[in-house]
Amino acid sequence: MRLAASLSRVCPAALFSAAVFLVPACGDGSRGNRAARPVVRPANPARIRASPALLGYLDESGLPPRREGGTLRRRLIGDPATLNAVMQSGAPEQEVLQYVSRNILDFDSRMRLVPGLAESYTVSPDGRSFTFTIRKDARWEDGSPVSPADAVFTIRSIVDPKVPSPVFKSVFDGLLSVEASGDHSFTARFREPSAYRAMAFVLPVLPAHRFSGVDFLHAPGNRAPLANGPYRLASWRAQDEIVLERNPRAWGERGHFDRIVFKVLPEDAVSYRALVGGTVDETRLDTSGRERARSDRAFADCCRMVEYYDLGWNYIALNNKSPLFSNPAVRRALTMLLDRAGIVRGLFRGSARILSGPWAPDSPAYDPAVPPLPFNPRAASALLDAAGWRDSNGDGTRDRGGREFSFDLLVSSGTTTGRQIDETFIAELARAGIRARIRSLEWASFTERVDSGNFEAASLAWSASDPNPDPYPYWHSSQSPPQGLNSQSYRNDQADRLMESARREQNGERRLAIYHRLHRIFRDDAPVIFVATSSQKFGFRNRVRGLVTSPLGLFGIWPGPIGWWDADGQGQAVASPAARSGP
Amino acid sequence: MNALLSLAAPAARPRRAIPGSARVALAIVVLLWIVAALSPLASRRAADIRLNERLLAPSRAHLFGTDDLGRDLFARVVAATPISLAIGTTAAAVSVIVGFAIGAVAGWFGGMTDLLLSRAIEVVLCFPVLFLLLALAAFLPPSPATVILAIGLTTWPGDARFARAEILKARDLDYTRAARAAGATTSRILLRHLLPVAAPPLLVSAAFGVGWAILAEAALSFLGVGLPPPMASWGGILAIAPAYIDEAWWIALFPGLALFLTVAAYNLLAEGLRAATTEKVNR
Amino acid sequence: MTRYILRRLLLAVPTLAGIVVLVFFLLHLAPGSPMSAMGGDSGRRVSQRAAEEMRKIYGLDRPLPERFGRWVSRVVRLDFGESFVDRRPVLDRIEEALPYTLVLNGLALLLTLAIAVPLGVVTGGRPEGALDRASGALLFALYSLPAFWAALLLQALFSVRLRWLPLYGVVSDSPEGIGLADRASHLVLPVVCLTYGSLAFFARLIRASVAETRNADYVLAARARGLSRREALWKHAFRNALLPLVTLLGLVLPGLLSGSVIIERIFAWPGVGRLYFDSILSRDYPVVLALSLLGAVATLLLTLAADIASAAVDPRVRDGTLG
Repeated sequence: MRLAASLSRVCPAALFSAAVFLVPACGDGSRGNRAARPVVRPANPARIRASPALLGYLDESGLPPRREGGTLRRRLIGDPATLNAVMQSGAPEQEVLQYVSRNILDFDSRMRLVPGLAESYTVSPDGRSFTFTIRKDARWEDGSPVSPADAVFTIRSIVDPKVPSPVFKSVFDGLLSVEASGDHSFTARFREPSAYRAMAFVLPVLPAHRFSGVDFLHAPGNRAPLANGPYRLASWRAQDEIVLERNPRAWGERGHFDRIVFKVLPEDAVSYRALVGGTVDETRLDTSGRERARSDRAFADCCRMVEYYDLGWNYIALNNKSPLFSNPAVRRALTMLLDRAGIVRGLFRGSARILSGPWAPDSPAYDPAVPPLPFNPRAASALLDAAGWRDSNGDGTRDRGGREFSFDLLVSSGTTTGRQIDETFIAELARAGIRARIRSLEWASFTERVDSGNFEAASLAWSASDPNPDPYPYWHSSQSPPQGLNSQSYRNDQADRLMESARREQNGERRLAIYHRLHRIFRDDAPVIFVATSSQKFGFRNRVRGLVTSPLGLFGIWPGPIGWWDADGQGQAVASPAARSGP
Repeated sequence: MNALLSLAAPAARPRRAIPGSARVALAIVVLLWIVAALSPLASRRAADIRLNERLLAPSRAHLFGTDDLGRDLFARVVAATPISLAIGTTAAAVSVIVGFAIGAVAGWFGGMTDLLLSRAIEVVLCFPVLFLLLALAAFLPPSPATVILAIGLTTWPGDARFARAEILKARDLDYTRAARAAGATTSRILLRHLLPVAAPPLLVSAAFGVGWAILAEAALSFLGVGLPPPMASWGGILAIAPAYIDEAWWIALFPGLALFLTVAAYNLLAEGLRAATTEKVNR
Repeated sequence: MTRYILRRLLLAVPTLAGIVVLVFFLLHLAPGSPMSAMGGDSGRRVSQRAAEEMRKIYGLDRPLPERFGRWVSRVVRLDFGESFVDRRPVLDRIEEALPYTLVLNGLALLLTLAIAVPLGVVTGGRPEGALDRASGALLFALYSLPAFWAALLLQALFSVRLRWLPLYGVVSDSPEGIGLADRASHLVLPVVCLTYGSLAFFARLIRASVAETRNADYVLAARARGLSRREALWKHAFRNALLPLVTLLGLVLPGLLSGSVIIERIFAWPGVGRLYFDSILSRDYPVVLALSLLGAVATLLLTLAADIASAAVDPRVRDGTLG
């Protein structure tokens, strides 16, 4: 279980363009509206590789020979609650829907926006209107064209207060209107301009004609979605198995497998066994799974490990409103009491990187020139002494003004890594005269406490499904609980001003410079303890080829898993490196 | 469930007062409490995290191997002994005391009181135990007291039903009537005359209850709603075992063995107690 | 007798009401909400606005007594509402999970009785015999063995090391037709784990009861009439043990159902136990309430059935002097 604030979809507005890419109309760059001001700046691919990555990115997409056919057996961590794209709320839904429903736009492996259902889009000069042109060959499973009306219906459903849409709701917070603007285009207008806005349209659409006259929340399509992607739903046995087959009406990119079978396997240890036993072809591995795989001959015979860094990272939030943690020097001291190098070596066996700021090192906003604070208990002790926290009553715990330095550290039960980091941490704190108690809560209670700011310290992880680095929603003082997601109630006037100006800044380079300045402030203020980013680990059966990893993961990109194929397949090898569209 | 076992199974009349197995069990229980008393000696070692010594197999340096943070597993199992024992005995005591009080009152007064209390007993008996435990764990901070309360509160109805039946039987016995005629107060009769009658079976039930409570605590910790780390009962150490079942079997084996041994000892002791007390009563 | 049954049924009403009120209010007052429970697997947090809207959609913005009133008024019409998680009728979800649990527990119970009854009668017929001593020690060991630990060890041995039995699940994923043997092999470990604990329980009970009556007058008389020792034991002594057995069954069945929560979790068994646990974690109020209520009804009915059976035999129970 990863705890996280999702960077992307919770963020209403963002003004950053480093990773935004104007979609070239397929093979025809001139289709874009001339009046539109392109929000162009191709992401710098070098940036992604620039940081000293331990683990390289994998790209097998050009690897011959590709084969067609066979069955891919994937693992789901839980049963999808729905296959209605608008109401989806978790990873299982996304992983299934990716095969069935195309997005309007997609991210490629370098975090650039690329065409999906839309062949192109334009942005109005005021930056508030987005007009998308839908591909003319895009078809639903029943043969009807994917129309602008479908997109309009989808977005209107998202903003409808009677529709629960936990993932997309906040992305469309500032929406003024959405309308069809031609036979193949629609326009969405927003209250404020935002360079990052286009990322909101990494969005699947619903077939409007299947929802007319039915109750949206209980539409039959919610459990039997109409496909417009390369696959369609063949069967769904709740809590057990979902089978997809090729969509005969598929257009655009096709998959290589004939069938995709998803097995619901909640436990990592169980799915590891299933992988080695050959009943699934891939599974996520946790750190212990990685260690096990390395020493397991059975794994070596059948499988390989795929490891990469994504945009997620771990941290220990300190409530800045608490008298214990209101002083930046104290927070710095706590950071210096956490032996992050030892944790990376011992707990992660090297497959992690220490952080100095609130972005993963693969994010362009991260400044590699800002070194993390060192592990230094002696210096930390001096800082605590100077801040007035001394053991004046001789009970072994520091105190100040009659208050002992002791606090509860919340952790979500079920995160092994989180607990291990916390236990290591509080042992070190105890040596420095600080008493911390671990309090593990199950997920629902945990998030409630964290979101409402009702905690002293909490162990968290951040996960991101898009590359938007805007820190405003998570670190600006106006976003403190209960309204915002700045759970630690961090406040620094200079940082506030920088975050505001970054949002206004239209120039990508200059905005990056502001983020780099902010990074230094975050490191020295230590609003939270930035711990590390650990690698994502997957085990794959050797026969599955064509994997492409990216900071957005194996699944958050296009074509992602649709580009995989079966190396042992009986099917015909296809010469062309890119599977092209059309029957 | 133990309460049920002692309640529902009328024991056969044994030949000996205390079976040999019970003596062995008693010896084991005494040994466990000695280990618990000595456990502070192991607490430093049990808390010593060494990330470069993770998951070491049992050896001379580490009798039971090391855990996922490089702590000595033997020291941890020893350090967990007083926690598991204390939780087990206290929870069983809570259950027996609450159960006897409620059951005795219901049995003695009868009528409306009995009707109401019997409904209360039934509510808890039919109440989804797991839900109650999770709800309590969510409401109260995870601590030994919470766990004791949660277990005690879910097991008392068995004892209460039992106490009620005993009191019902004894209420109409001659000496109870005599005591009442002599003007003894209700509480005096309950405590001085009826408690001794109900005590031996209650003791048996309590001994079974200890085993049950230790198991329940282990299951709670295993599900992640037990004691907060790094304070660890045997169940708490076991909770990490599934993740390492392939490469570190010792994490599953040794705390589990300790658990098994303790529960078995208490159950055997309870069975021995029952054998001894039923014979006395029957005589 | 009819009066007795009516009285018991009437008395069950306040008990049910108590359970329902307790579960309802505990559930709604417990920390966390369906909104805060979302994203447990992806780590996604729900924005304030989305959470507010969902609260309205679920009707959680209404005062607690009103929500309770609505729930009760629907439940008396046997409408349990729909799951917050996937918006399907609660009963559909329970219907899906129930067969799995029934198969698992039914088999476990049958196996328990199939072993416990003969074992109990034989050892009860010759208490302190060699078989009695040996089986007594073994049963005690089994009774003290934590089920989740046993499950772990069995998995490690039979599934991981020896690879004789599947690790988890209901069926294998072989695309070619799934046979009965495959399903059976998936049942072995969970059934064993569910069986061994209650086995001790039942065997000891029957043994005790048979041992008590084996020298009773009517059993001796039966033997004098020329019945063999075996016949006398089975026809008379065992019949006497049936009553407490039935009572115990009534008490133990609901325990079996809830006891399978851990086993269903370990063996990835999509039964009621897992549904219940998951629903508590995701704060799926309608499912938790329905399962709690149905569980309580089942318990009450089974106890009632057991009591009626006892009452039919033993007039003291009817008079309320016992039980």
